[in-house]
Amino acid sequence: MSVLECNNLTKHYGSAPALNHVSFTVEPGRIVGLLGPNGSGKTTLLKLANGLLTPSEGEIVVCGAAPGRESHAQVSYLPERTAIPTWMSTRQLLDFYGDFYADFRREAAEEMLRHLNIQPKQRIKQMSKGTREKVQLIMVMSRAAKLYLLDEPIGGVDPATRDYILSTIIGNYNPEASVMISTHLIADVEKVLDDVIFINQGQLVLQSSVDEIREEKGMSVDALFREVFKC
Amino acid sequence: MLIKLMKHEFRATGRVMGPLYLVLLVTAIGANLSTRGLLETNSSFLNMLGGLLVVAFVFAIMGVCLMSLVLMVQRFYKNLLGDEGYVMFTLPASVHQQVWSKLIVSAVWFAATLLAVCAAGTIMVYEVGFMKAFFHGLGEVFRQLTAYYALNGTALVLEFLLLCFVTCCAMCLQFYAAMAVGHSFPNHKGLMSVVFFFVFQFAVQLMGSLLIVFLDESPFHRWLLQLTDWQLSGMAATHLLMIVLIFGVVLYGAIFYVVTTFFLKRHLNLE
Repeated sequence: MSVLECNNLTKHYGSAPALNHVSFTVEPGRIVGLLGPNGSGKTTLLKLANGLLTPSEGEIVVCGAAPGRESHAQVSYLPERTAIPTWMSTRQLLDFYGDFYADFRREAAEEMLRHLNIQPKQRIKQMSKGTREKVQLIMVMSRAAKLYLLDEPIGGVDPATRDYILSTIIGNYNPEASVMISTHLIADVEKVLDDVIFINQGQLVLQSSVDEIREEKGMSVDALFREVFKC
Repeated sequence: MLIKLMKHEFRATGRVMGPLYLVLLVTAIGANLSTRGLLETNSSFLNMLGGLLVVAFVFAIMGVCLMSLVLMVQRFYKNLLGDEGYVMFTLPASVHQQVWSKLIVSAVWFAATLLAVCAAGTIMVYEVGFMKAFFHGLGEVFRQLTAYYALNGTALVLEFLLLCFVTCCAMCLQFYAAMAVGHSFPNHKGLMSVVFFFVFQFAVQLMGSLLIVFLDESPFHRWLLQLTDWQLSGMAATHLLMIVLIFGVVLYGAIFYVVTTFFLKRHLNLE
């Protein structure tokens, strides 16, 4: 059974379409790049998958259910911005995730926080922007979820942090789960992807495996992206 | 899940309200010392200090009351409609549980604020003789109420307290509904929330006025006036009025609850 299924998914903001009759499926055990230029509809798609928006038309099925309580228990979502409550200490944040998610692996999270020298008593608001983003990522990746939806996890961070983030994702996700990474920084994520979905102006442009792109088109995903989205 | 949401809501709000209650109680002790001695000395410094302690107590009361209201609005706005909404609305909890957790915790803080202000007032005026006289007087008021108006004073007070409680909850829900509707707009979310609060306020007053006019001219009213066999005693009529008021306020709150949950489910539009 696919972990994410979109059928003619459409979302309008007023009269402007953000997504236009998008259909695709994501199978378990795949790392999928949701790739497209800024404003192509990537964030809208992930918000729809998390029930933060309601479709204008079509349907979206996440882990066999419409987005809601049932799917939230199985999906681990990293929003594009730092959304963890900043008044909390790291320990309180661990309590928070542990209370709400049965699949939260507290030991794994504590180990990653120790690795970054983050003290349990340290408050989120006392941390730098980069450290907050890492803490949020640690919380998200410490869940043994069935689907990880990561919105721009490497956007706006330095190359060293990008490496840390990608290694955290690859080193900690549940191998039976799928990971969807939304980004426009293709070169950095290409090495970890199994499949790619190209999206532009709210429409699906391409869904393919990375191997197929390399074998059939003889180019990297980054090169294909530049060719498809050439201005 | 509701219990867990409330636990973290109490944790988030308790760190603000707890210290404020402490400040209130400390200033109440200061005001007590002031009224019992400092203001009656010949030293102008001690007189001034006594005056400042009383002023601090008044400000502490105002601060606690105001903060319980501000916190109710701020928690809903920041925790559900701000950036934290991305975390809160992706928890395995329903929108109803989210709204109930905010509502219950806010109502508990309103009740706790009332108790804290009463306790602080008691501390401020504390003197064994005065307290005895105060409680004796309070008991006498209830006895007089029951004897003179044939009313059950205790039941009336309980009904009044329940009415205050449901009114607080309904007021919270009116704020929540205004914010939920205001934040469904793509721009000027804060401004639209304020606009919708006043729109709702106007709508409630208009509906209330229309209802009174309608009932006054309705066949139901004429039918009631024709009833001669069925006379309500003063006590029964007062209790009936309180119960009607309580149900009316519950209905008013329920409408805003439906508006809030509908907009959070169907028109959530986080930045």
